[in-house]
Amino acid sequence: MPPELSVVLAAVALPFIAAVCTPVLYRLLGERTGYAGVAVALASFLLLASQRGTEGTVGLEWVPSLDIALRFYLDGWGLLFAMLACGIGTLIFLYSPAYMHGEPHLTRFYTALLAFMGSIVGVALAADLIAIFLFWELTSLCSFVLIGHYTADDSSKYAARMAMFITVGGGLFLLVGLLLLSVVAGDVVGTDAAFNLAAMLENPEAIAEGLRERGLFLPVLGLLAIGAGTKSAQVPLHFWLPNAMAAPTPVSAFLHSATMVKVGVYFIGRMRPILVGEEWLFLFATLGLTTMTVCAVMAVAATDIKELLAYSTASHLGLMVAGFGFTSIYGAETGVFHLLNHALFKATLFLVAGIVAHEAGTRNIDKLGGLRQDLPITAIITVIVALSMAGIPPFNGFYSKELLFEAAVEASHHHDIGALGWLYPAVAVFGSVFTVLYSLRFLSLFFGDRPEELGHIHRPSTTLVIAPGVLAVLAAVVSVEPQLAVDVIVQSGLDATALEHHEMHVELPTSYSTPVGMSAVTIALGLAAYPFYGRIHGGINAALAAAPPIAANWWYDAVVGNLTGGGARIGDRIHNGLLRTYATWTLLGTCGLALAGFAAAGTVASSELIDFDATPAVALVLLVAVVAGLAVVRSESHIAGILTLSILGFMIAIFYILASAPDLALTQLVVETLVLLIFLLVIEEIPEYYEISLGKYARDAVVSLAVGATAFITVLVTTDARPEGRTDIARVYAEQAVPEGGGTNIVNVTLVDFRGFDTMGELVVVAMAAISILTLIVMRSGGDDE
Amino acid sequence: MTTVVMRTTARVVVPIILVVSISLFVEGHNLPGGGFIGGVLTTTAFAVIYLAFGLDFLERGVLGRDVDPGKEPSRDRVVVAYRRLFEYGLAIAVLSGLVPLLFGLPFLTQTFVIFEHVPIYGHVEIASALAFDFGVYCVVVGGLLTILSVVGAE
Repeated sequence: MPPELSVVLAAVALPFIAAVCTPVLYRLLGERTGYAGVAVALASFLLLASQRGTEGTVGLEWVPSLDIALRFYLDGWGLLFAMLACGIGTLIFLYSPAYMHGEPHLTRFYTALLAFMGSIVGVALAADLIAIFLFWELTSLCSFVLIGHYTADDSSKYAARMAMFITVGGGLFLLVGLLLLSVVAGDVVGTDAAFNLAAMLENPEAIAEGLRERGLFLPVLGLLAIGAGTKSAQVPLHFWLPNAMAAPTPVSAFLHSATMVKVGVYFIGRMRPILVGEEWLFLFATLGLTTMTVCAVMAVAATDIKELLAYSTASHLGLMVAGFGFTSIYGAETGVFHLLNHALFKATLFLVAGIVAHEAGTRNIDKLGGLRQDLPITAIITVIVALSMAGIPPFNGFYSKELLFEAAVEASHHHDIGALGWLYPAVAVFGSVFTVLYSLRFLSLFFGDRPEELGHIHRPSTTLVIAPGVLAVLAAVVSVEPQLAVDVIVQSGLDATALEHHEMHVELPTSYSTPVGMSAVTIALGLAAYPFYGRIHGGINAALAAAPPIAANWWYDAVVGNLTGGGARIGDRIHNGLLRTYATWTLLGTCGLALAGFAAAGTVASSELIDFDATPAVALVLLVAVVAGLAVVRSESHIAGILTLSILGFMIAIFYILASAPDLALTQLVVETLVLLIFLLVIEEIPEYYEISLGKYARDAVVSLAVGATAFITVLVTTDARPEGRTDIARVYAEQAVPEGGGTNIVNVTLVDFRGFDTMGELVVVAMAAISILTLIVMRSGGDDE
Repeated sequence: MTTVVMRTTARVVVPIILVVSISLFVEGHNLPGGGFIGGVLTTTAFAVIYLAFGLDFLERGVLGRDVDPGKEPSRDRVVVAYRRLFEYGLAIAVLSGLVPLLFGLPFLTQTFVIFEHVPIYGHVEIASALAFDFGVYCVVVGGLLTILSVVGAE
């Protein structure tokens, strides 16, 4: 059954429309704007829910000549992701008004949050490569605004810039990958499928085959992996995610748990049917398991509850990537099911962390403990979700982790991957041990002794508890009855990402198997190591302190710091405030680029131009021009120089007349006159003579020679490229000027009728030049009396 | 430059330049000329005025206002007028491009009508491109005069 275009469009557009209306809403509702967000997110959620069970493409034309469309493709996978974003979004909006009470810039906050949600829904449903890229980068932009919400705070700005730098940069790799993909798809499936992801998903083998034939399979796979990996915080570019905890907690919950960071995982799942293969297994299973382990270890080293959760998110993203990396059906099951499970438990945990920070006033793990007496309901919620994160049976995280173990073991059976065959399961277990450790540590905030210095903790308001409560109930339902979640949504998501159809069954294991043994080892090791948590925590931190290059943050700071410093130094040299320097660099840069372009293209001027026969009149005019040019250089005063320069200009105008181009001649004459007058107007202010050093004379001579030579070569080369006789365009313009434009002056008809859009662009340039000169002068003369 | 010869010449020449520039603009569709050239020539006329009578002449002599020497050049009434001129010119050009959309034609589509037997003129052609060209004229005149007077005042 095909989806309804209007319903899908409404679901994607609603958040954006609401985002635009936020300033008005905020004026009407004040801090309760969040509840309007609840309505919008819920509406989008219900609209999407009504499309459950449908599959197909709907779309609007966008750039028909390139076959780019605002195309949406609905299937179980996209729907699962979009509904997660809207569903969790609803709860975030419910949670925000109480949490953000009294904070500044709420209009911007809600606008960005709504647009963020909308762009994630857009990525999930878009089936056009260009649309995917646009929505993808839009999520990065919105997250930049959200992470940098506290604009006065340096760490917030640093984190926002880092997230933007990494994710937008990764997005550019993705763009290149998508363009390569579109070229191949256009060749293989047909030109109308060049940007159409839905059409590619219908012919996955043909696309993969086409990519391999052209030797583009590995480049495309690598580029898409970089894009998805930066977005989903895979090692070694995982460090932006923990830094992003500078954002307000509702944003962290939304960004880390459900949505933006999972866009990469989502995309890997989306491309899985097309690109899956040996390389795929090697790349993503290795990448995912490394990320999972490194970030789990880093989470144990964390001292801040949000930092712990952020590293844990990156670790779980690694788990999902590794899941999709394994080519067996268990791999796809891991990815899809864990995406759902992780969203349920991690969003809850972040919201709980927000409650703790809000009510206890600190996020330092060492200063917190025994909170169950003060926050009993929150404690119950935390027990469910923290055990789920740890993967303890029968909580929901256990099932999807079990699937990962199954997939890792399966890979060693079915692929000849040498040592990796036992390394994959071993690393998966090793990383999971740390997962158990930090999950228990988070849980311990609510148990044990209550530190003395922890002051009175008041009860959180009801709206703060509802959102994590709802999520915890859902997590509990999935824990008790996992097959229910499978039937409702996971199975259809699996069908879209797996290679073959497979009925998914999830239940508690009743007999021994290798994955069950691995789980038992994981939990046993985790429990055994927990008493030594302090020592492990200290050990990891000591290692990090001893060798800073281990931390990816160090690399980022080193690279970005040097770039900024180098940029500033170069800038100081080029922008030293002297107009002469600016002109020198601009002119020399232009000459260099133009000449390098000709050299790279191997352009050679033909010899025919040399034996150009000029009439005596033309020869005379050109001779006068040359003499005038010499006179300009020799002239003693400015006035004489300008007047002789005008002779040169007027000679060129006469040359145009002789070459039967009256319009051009007219323009040249008029502009020449105007320039002469402007010079005369300005010249009164210029001193009669300058004292210029010999070095500057030499520099100016070199620059002017270079500019002249470039102009000369450009004219020589470009006029040479003119085809023999009239081109088609010239003929059509000449023939159609009177019947189509109603004018006998072809130049003017071309300007206003045939190429009106170009003229419009030139008008904008003139207007912009005038505005910028106004701005320049106004800004220079202070502008503080404005 | 404000010599008597210069001033006298300017008095005679400026009206001629203005008339020629307008005729260049109007005839542009069929003879050499058009909005751009007409606009530049009009600007030239103003430049001659500035050269002969000084930059404050228009404000003091024509508009009859006292010039406040401490004022920023961008606040002058003439400069504001020039700025408006190119703003409106841009608006005219864009609007003339938008009109065809009402008739379901692409942006910037132009057309023309020819009226025969008009008294005195006989054969008159009205091209919709004239509106667009008028926008071009206004932007060129407004933009160049803004630049000229602001830079000249420096």
